[in-house]
Amino acid sequence: MSELERNRVPRLAPGCRLNPAGGAEDLLLIPEGALRLKGPARAIVELCDGQRTLAEIISELQRTYPTAQPARIETEAVALLARLRDRGVLEVA
Amino acid sequence: MKYQPRALIAEITHRCPLHCVYCSNPTEMRRRSDELSTADWISIFQQAAEMGILQLHLTGGEPLARTDLTELVRAARAAQLYSNLITSGAGLDGGRLDELVAAGVDHIQLSFQDSQEGPANEFAGTRSHALKLRMAEIIRRRPVAFTVNMVVHRRNLDRLEEMIAFAEGTGARRLEIANVQYYGWALRNREGLLPTREQLEHSIQVVEAARERLKGKLRIEFVLPDYYAKYPKPCMNGWGHQQLLIDPSGRALPCHAAMVIPGLDFPNARERDLRWIWEESPTFNRFRDESWMPEPCRSCDRRARDFGGCRCQAFLLTGDAAATDPVCTLAPQHSIVEEILERVNGSARPDWVYRIDPA
Repeated sequence: MSELERNRVPRLAPGCRLNPAGGAEDLLLIPEGALRLKGPARAIVELCDGQRTLAEIISELQRTYPTAQPARIETEAVALLARLRDRGVLEVA
Repeated sequence: MKYQPRALIAEITHRCPLHCVYCSNPTEMRRRSDELSTADWISIFQQAAEMGILQLHLTGGEPLARTDLTELVRAARAAQLYSNLITSGAGLDGGRLDELVAAGVDHIQLSFQDSQEGPANEFAGTRSHALKLRMAEIIRRRPVAFTVNMVVHRRNLDRLEEMIAFAEGTGARRLEIANVQYYGWALRNREGLLPTREQLEHSIQVVEAARERLKGKLRIEFVLPDYYAKYPKPCMNGWGHQQLLIDPSGRALPCHAAMVIPGLDFPNARERDLRWIWEESPTFNRFRDESWMPEPCRSCDRRARDFGGCRCQAFLLTGDAAATDPVCTLAPQHSIVEEILERVNGSARPDWVYRIDPA
């Protein structure tokens, strides 16, 4: 698993989408099934809109969760997005 | 719900322009005049979504044979289902594909019979390979997930490396390499389709190497022929555990092949609501828990993992749907499978039989 560069722009691959918000669980629907998103994972994926760079996504999350440690937010977001990329669910331009 | 259904397999028609020697549809197919209406299917999709089903597999036959497919896809998206279109590509063109994408199809799975045109057309019983290549070309340009499915067996498994390279060239992001499973028409042609042990071992190495080489580029799923397995497959992840199939005429089945099991009454979605079918119907409850299990399954550590294997296969091979799946090396009747493998690994090379389309 290679590190994600902060100036790259991630977005969901074709055929991968979030289930509607407010349901019983947060799911990322993909060709083989669904990935369950826990905690802030949905908020992180929602920011992968093909416009924001990874650096911008991280700052946005740090603003949304002001009480959490900024370094921890960064580590968690990068780890989640790298996993999704390696799974073929996220494209990085 | 104790068992939460996750996927609805909608076999919307049995009509198909292909005549594959390993077709998984039942040997008795539903006619066009028996098919559910558009409104019937839309109601089924809505009920499925209300039950928490996420994935819809639109399959057949060839689902494109239904002229209302775009409408069905639109209804599935409106019901918030994720729709997978499982197709041979026959009946598709750029205009129809654009309509389907606009209607919300999420994922297209295009099947190929081989990397080479001659054998591909021979296995399909039709000249369909060139058309499939053109369809891959247009699908890859659309914003939709794209999987290529290649069916493998004795007569093409030796070309697996070439077939993987072929799949790379189609632009798909996922590749399913599926060994034929021996149900429906495929069972009739089993001796001509089952690979030899040597072929199988070689193919496993080929896939491992390809996965390494194509990491991050093409995701490969590989379905092995369970006749060679040590333990049975967790068929459908358990009978009535996660998946529900509706056939073209509305009959609800726990899996594609369940119709072969005698003594089961398959409820029809025209007459019963989906929730009753799933929760209450005797058929969906028949093999759901562990009470039906014989020994050695009943006391086996693996029973919650593979559920005693496949009920349909148990019936097809032993005549008893409540027997341990005989592919399991622990099964009392495993010798049935051993004898088949002995024949297959011997010198015989039988011919196969083509099927014809329903009226």
